[in-house]
Amino acid sequence: MKIEKINGWFEKLAGRIIKRRWLIIASFFGLIAVSVIGLKKVIVESSWDGYFLEDDPMLVQSDKFKEIFGNDYFVAVLTESDNTFSKHSLELIRELSNELIDSLSYAEKITSLTNIEFMSGTEEGMVIEQIVPEEIPSDEAELNSIRQKAYSKPNVAKRLISKDGRLSWILLKLRAFPEDSVWRKESSKGPDFITGAETERIISQAKYSDIHPKATGMPYLNFRKQMYLGTESGRVMGLALLLAIVVLALITRSFRGVIVPILTAVGSILMVYGFTGYIGYPIDSGMTSIPVLLSFAIAIAYNIHVYNFFSKQMAIHGHRKMAVLETIKEMGWPVFFSALTTIAGLLTFLVIPMKPLRFVGLATSSCVLLSFLIVLFLMPAFLSFGKNKKPHREVEKKGGKWFDRQMARFGEWTLDHSRQVLVVFSIVAVVSIWGLTRVETAFDIERTMGRKVPYVNSMMQICESELGSLYAYDFMVEFPQNDMAKEPANLKKFDELAQFVETLPLTKRTSSILDVLKDLNRTLNSNNEAYYSVPSDENQVAQMLLLYENAGGTEAQYWIDYDYKRLRLMVELGTYNSGEAERELILVQQKAQSLFPEASVTAVGSLPQFTAMMQYVVRGQIQSFLIAICIVALLLALVFGSIRLGLIGMIPNIAPALAVGEIMGFMGIPLDMMTATIMPMILGLAVDDTIHFINHSHLEYNRLGSYMQSVRRTFSVVGVSIILSTLIISANFIVYGTSDAKQFIHLGVLSVIGMVAALLADLFVTPVLIKSFRIFGNERNSPDSKKAIDKSIKINEYECIK
Amino acid sequence: MCGLILCAMPMNAQTLTGREVIQKVKDRPDGDTRTSEMTMQLINKTGSSRERKIQSYSMDLGKDKKTIMFFLYPGDVKGTGFLTWDYDLIGKNDDKWLYLPAMKKTRRISGSSSKTDYFMGSDFTYDDMGSRNVDEDDHMLLREETIEGHKCWLVESTPKTKGEIYSKKVSWIRQDCLIAVKVEYYDKMNKLHRKLELSNIERVDGFWIAKNLHMVNVQTNHQTILTISNPKYNIMIDESAFTVVKLEKGSL
Repeated sequence: MKIEKINGWFEKLAGRIIKRRWLIIASFFGLIAVSVIGLKKVIVESSWDGYFLEDDPMLVQSDKFKEIFGNDYFVAVLTESDNTFSKHSLELIRELSNELIDSLSYAEKITSLTNIEFMSGTEEGMVIEQIVPEEIPSDEAELNSIRQKAYSKPNVAKRLISKDGRLSWILLKLRAFPEDSVWRKESSKGPDFITGAETERIISQAKYSDIHPKATGMPYLNFRKQMYLGTESGRVMGLALLLAIVVLALITRSFRGVIVPILTAVGSILMVYGFTGYIGYPIDSGMTSIPVLLSFAIAIAYNIHVYNFFSKQMAIHGHRKMAVLETIKEMGWPVFFSALTTIAGLLTFLVIPMKPLRFVGLATSSCVLLSFLIVLFLMPAFLSFGKNKKPHREVEKKGGKWFDRQMARFGEWTLDHSRQVLVVFSIVAVVSIWGLTRVETAFDIERTMGRKVPYVNSMMQICESELGSLYAYDFMVEFPQNDMAKEPANLKKFDELAQFVETLPLTKRTSSILDVLKDLNRTLNSNNEAYYSVPSDENQVAQMLLLYENAGGTEAQYWIDYDYKRLRLMVELGTYNSGEAERELILVQQKAQSLFPEASVTAVGSLPQFTAMMQYVVRGQIQSFLIAICIVALLLALVFGSIRLGLIGMIPNIAPALAVGEIMGFMGIPLDMMTATIMPMILGLAVDDTIHFINHSHLEYNRLGSYMQSVRRTFSVVGVSIILSTLIISANFIVYGTSDAKQFIHLGVLSVIGMVAALLADLFVTPVLIKSFRIFGNERNSPDSKKAIDKSIKINEYECIK
Repeated sequence: MCGLILCAMPMNAQTLTGREVIQKVKDRPDGDTRTSEMTMQLINKTGSSRERKIQSYSMDLGKDKKTIMFFLYPGDVKGTGFLTWDYDLIGKNDDKWLYLPAMKKTRRISGSSSKTDYFMGSDFTYDDMGSRNVDEDDHMLLREETIEGHKCWLVESTPKTKGEIYSKKVSWIRQDCLIAVKVEYYDKMNKLHRKLELSNIERVDGFWIAKNLHMVNVQTNHQTILTISNPKYNIMIDESAFTVVKLEKGSL
């Protein structure tokens, strides 16, 4: 590729842009207006369900499960008072339970101390009654008898009331949520979000303050997460915008220098999100900030390069339109190539079979493409307005000279210490790789979000309490033939499985048909505790289930399917760590398979999905990163016309990824969906500076024929831009460190570390590599004295200024 | 007889209120004693189905009612029996017994379960199946409509209390036989939740009966088909049939 030819093309384009500048500006704002309308249609999701692609095998299994057993989501509320068995507390619990079942759109069945059908055996039969009577007594003795009744069945009590009587648990089962395609026609808010919002509205009423209700369950947690991230992302992004404006104003000292980068970033984000709204692609609430973050970084970097070049040309000759043409001519290609490599890097997210990461890949690469287009079209259009200026040769010379000289001297120092630089780089690289191997793939809400986030804190308090649980998932045992699920032999094995699951560290408790059957068996045998076991006769099982249904019991349908072919075991977890969960899931699977060799046993629900997803993330992350490296190397090789150059050019670009991995490994920051996006993103950003550096070195080398000279010149010309853009982007990223949420802090800190590592690699390693590997070939002349170099530089600077 | 007279009388919709229509439906005559075989077919979204067959007998004793039911199918519950004595007197709990042949035990059940729960895993609640009090809902006569050549009243019923599973139900009540041929139940979000259709409406022994009741939960696609066969009215049956002794025999 002839670079001059490409530059000429960009110059022509700039000429056309200036001619039609009003049309371009009008079209830009027109597009913004259209995008803003689309923005209103954006669907934000927080549910884990949205993470999977439609054909994902786990999703298929879970859908089958839901078809059989209904909604696996529930809402639960933990209440706390000094004495739950007081008239006041019981009344409040009943009122709250009633309000939940009556006011929640998707409520199906409530189980609480005040709303539970309680079967107990008597001498001659059985009594179906409420633990708490319709009219709640105030008399101490009667309240005591309620207390006794509540504790009379230990297996019921342990789900409803704490041993000290301070805590109580309200469980609300939900009816099946409509299909996505159904609710999306009417609302941009999903049924889980609606459920969470309704729960929050109910429990936060002042009248319930005496029982301190705290809610949990996936729909509620998703709602809280979405609300928190909505506000927090807004706050952090706003702050990042403000800081970007201040830093840009300080550096460019021009209105256009501030407004164009901001318009570029905001414009590209609005267009991408607006488009997502139009096509109805749901966005995960945790991921919304990534494209925004990247767009700001890219928009600033591109504009700084373009604007700096423009102001330099203006200072040289003061002719505005000419300066614009020259800027686009010179900067069009490197910026385009930077954008291309970044897009290629980001698109590799598409190899990860998970919607949020695919979204990040598509959205960020679209943002980069749009940023590039906006910079290319809007910047010249804007810059072309205004009068010509008198050239400020002196100012320009003075202002640039000190920095240039320092940078040139720095470049020289680097080359003089090539060996030391390489040794230090190698040591750092080895340490980084060691750190990288320590990175743990885990999603653990406490480590990912942190307790400083209010909803996380309340969620942790619930799961650490005696009654509360964090998440739940299910096991489905599917027998080869109908009716096998009610065979006593199978039920007894199932009981063994449940008891095994109870011993695992994450398990808080399990629920299954066994609870119903054992309880019935005891009830029918005059409440004799010895009968709290699975009946040993098949007909007994069938008849008990019939009795149970006929007595109005509706629980059975949640636990055993229609054809008596499938059994469900619900496992509630007290804590969650995706690594441990993965281990336990495998253990249970093995145990179940050994108990039921002829049956198929599958873990279903969003939690096993989420756990499996972690594997996708790691695998995907590694694949995506490797592919990104290959593509970027290939592009570098293509453009610079040498595979060797492409490969060498990659060395400084891997450095930031290593640094990020090292910090994650040593600081114990887990690799999760958010942190997984950092490395490829930083690779995309870091490569820009390397391109500018190598591109310019090549140009200078062709001019001067000496590595020392060309590196010195490169440092004095692009060094400042590279440092400035890193500085601004880092300032933009570091704002995320002000958040209470660890995921934002990690994102901010790790991105800054990556950017700084990229800068250091470009300043120290790239020049050393250029020289050591003689990447542009053998030197034509090797001026052996500093004098000669200085002379040549002076001539060059003079030419440049002329 | 009184039912026949009632049916033959010309009804003037203008003068009827929604409540009166529903009261008429409730008062529709069905003999003093009756028996039938009921097949309950439950079909879920995936098309799997469960079938149960029940033989039931009942007898009115003044305003009270005694019912005895025996399961005929499937085999593992065959012989299981339920006996209930429903009392009209407010505050007096119904008496219920059940007999489980596998345990050879009769158990007396006291207390009551919620009427809004679904009946034996079907899409019918106990309320839908039986005697929901007319005054538990506010009724509004919307208009008249003709369905398959039969003039119907359209009545919208809204529960007076909050704890119901539906926010309203709309019934199409055939004016000639006082049977609701179609009922739509709406959920709390006012969306259609369940749809009941009655067909095979016949007159047996002079009493109107719908032999086919088809309830579909349109939101979950679960459905229940109740088919009534061999209905007989005013049969010769003694009060002694409704006792625990008979229950333990497994049939009458």
